[in-house]
Amino acid sequence: MTQEKPKILLKFEGMPNGRALKTYMAHSGYEALKKAFAMSKEDVINEVKASGLRGRGGAGFPTGLKWSFVPKDMPGPKYLICNNDESEPGTFKDRHLCSVSPHMVIEGMIIAGFAIGANKGYIYTRYEFQEEIGQVEAAIKEAYEAGLLGKNILGSGFDFDLDHYTGAGAYICGEETGLISSLEGKKGQPKLKPPFPAVSGYLARPTIVNNTETLANVPHIILNGAKEFRKYGSEKSPGTKLFSISGALGKPGVYEVPLGYSWNRFLNEEAGGLLPGLSLKALIPGGASAPLLTPKECEDLTLDYECMAAKGTMLGSGAIMVIDNRQSMVELLRCTIEFFAHESCGQCTPCREGTGWLNNIMVGINDREVGADSVDRLHLVSKQMGGRTICALSDACAMPVMSYVQKFSDELKAHLAKG
Amino acid sequence: MSVFSEGLRKKIDHYLTRYETRRSAILPVLHCIQDEHGWIKPEHIEELHSKYELDRVQVKEVITFYDIYKDKPTRKFLIRYCQNITCTMLGAKEAICRIEDHIKKLEAELGDDTPFGLEKFPCLGKCDGAPVMLVNKERVEHATVDKIDGLLSKYAPLPK
Ligand SMILES: Cc1cc2nc3c(=O)[nH]c(=O)nc-3n(C[C@H](O)[C@H](O)[C@H](O)COP(=O)(O)O)c2cc1C
Ligand code: FES
Repeated sequence: MTQEKPKILLKFEGMPNGRALKTYMAHSGYEALKKAFAMSKEDVINEVKASGLRGRGGAGFPTGLKWSFVPKDMPGPKYLICNNDESEPGTFKDRHLCSVSPHMVIEGMIIAGFAIGANKGYIYTRYEFQEEIGQVEAAIKEAYEAGLLGKNILGSGFDFDLDHYTGAGAYICGEETGLISSLEGKKGQPKLKPPFPAVSGYLARPTIVNNTETLANVPHIILNGAKEFRKYGSEKSPGTKLFSISGALGKPGVYEVPLGYSWNRFLNEEAGGLLPGLSLKALIPGGASAPLLTPKECEDLTLDYECMAAKGTMLGSGAIMVIDNRQSMVELLRCTIEFFAHESCGQCTPCREGTGWLNNIMVGINDREVGADSVDRLHLVSKQMGGRTICALSDACAMPVMSYVQKFSDELKAHLAKG
Repeated sequence: MSVFSEGLRKKIDHYLTRYETRRSAILPVLHCIQDEHGWIKPEHIEELHSKYELDRVQVKEVITFYDIYKDKPTRKFLIRYCQNITCTMLGAKEAICRIEDHIKKLEAELGDDTPFGLEKFPCLGKCDGAPVMLVNKERVEHATVDKIDGLLSKYAPLPK
């Protein structure tokens, strides 16, 4: 597998005026759009299918396949939504991407809109990204002024309007049906699937929700072809991927590497390694909802969907949090559970009660007010929270909790014994 | 008489027609009101209901569901300090303690006129600058305990 480090998504990083439409155009920006307009909608979808692009929002669902679920002959409006909510703890790659290359996202959206027959798109960004929201809105304005958005784009006969919508501080609005509820001006509560948004989404109309990074991959795939996209990564995890890495590191940040990249190399070359004198205690490889890995499990780790799954965890949104030897697993588990308990939308009993119950137990453990059997109770409660709810937030809480208990129960129990 | 300024009324009118449904305007309208007033007052909700046909129950639902909206007065500078995983690893707790200390002392002196309010917040999506806080809408990175006094005194004087 190639270990080259191409810059595709982050091509404009560090470039003077890299965010501007002019710069984007000077480096074949919006050429993919022209090419797409000369293709049939089916061919655009087929090219994305052939690329093997998998959704970068966490679940890794094949993008072309998702697009093909939109009913073709249904009259009336269809919608495309860019999920720029990015609230999974540890994740900050979409923030970086939409700031570095807003036009790559916008071009990807127009092509996706064309392919699925949507004439209206929204970019939904979390409130906390104030600076980046300004940058995205400025890019949308530029694209309108250049005739790249609006009616009859580039004489193609295709109309596409794009608007931006700002969230208000709720992790659950990253879940696609929660996002749709929020965009409708409601509480961000997820809805049961099916029906999937592709059939009944925003205002009960066919709607595709894709992650920011997923959409930014589309221009490259259309312009250079599925084969070129597959030059990097593996058969089942093709392409490059953005990883956000944080912790006590030399160079925490966002880096683009081919899927399948060596973890050790990533840590030491991209992220600058752990700060002097520190060693690895555990790794959160895919955001707060991903099960932890021990240093031993990290030895031969590669950054792709399959290797993560084989090790019982997930690539998720590509959010890597490095836990060093100074850290208390009690403290980190406490803040993980507190997060999910706070963010549960409250609709489903296993999630609302489960996360709350876990939080009570964990506060008890932290304050040494409960017995050692509480550690096992964390596991017992978590085991009953998976697969029983409308959305995956409940699972997203249960999975990491179980991994802390499995891999660090000695530390949790030792903390209690000290009391 | 309206409880909204002319500028605000213009913005509300704009948002009410910007989306496919009026209801979608609730979030952006509340953002605008809060930007101007610091919080959403009961009379704001009443006027949205009576003059702008934004149902008061639907509006209240949104205010209580989303963390950003406040239905009580806030301090001039609301600090939203991230207490999630990476920020915790890199010193959030110590910095938060120090901010709490400052606020306690300021409150003893100034009561409700204390310039700072503090809220512990989930991951702010800037973990590469951890520990991180928002002061109103501004993101402040590397807000460790040794730097926090310098960072906060840019907004308002700290207790001696
Ligand atoms: C609790 C929860 C939070 C989520 N947060 C996000 C998010 O912030 N951004 C995102 O793109 N997807 C998020 N997702 C996944 C979305 O539901 C959806 O799968 C994704 O946006 C689809 O885009 P993709 O196919 O391009 O990955 C979340 C899912 C869950 C269950
Ligand atoms: S953990 Fe604090 S910004 Fe992400």
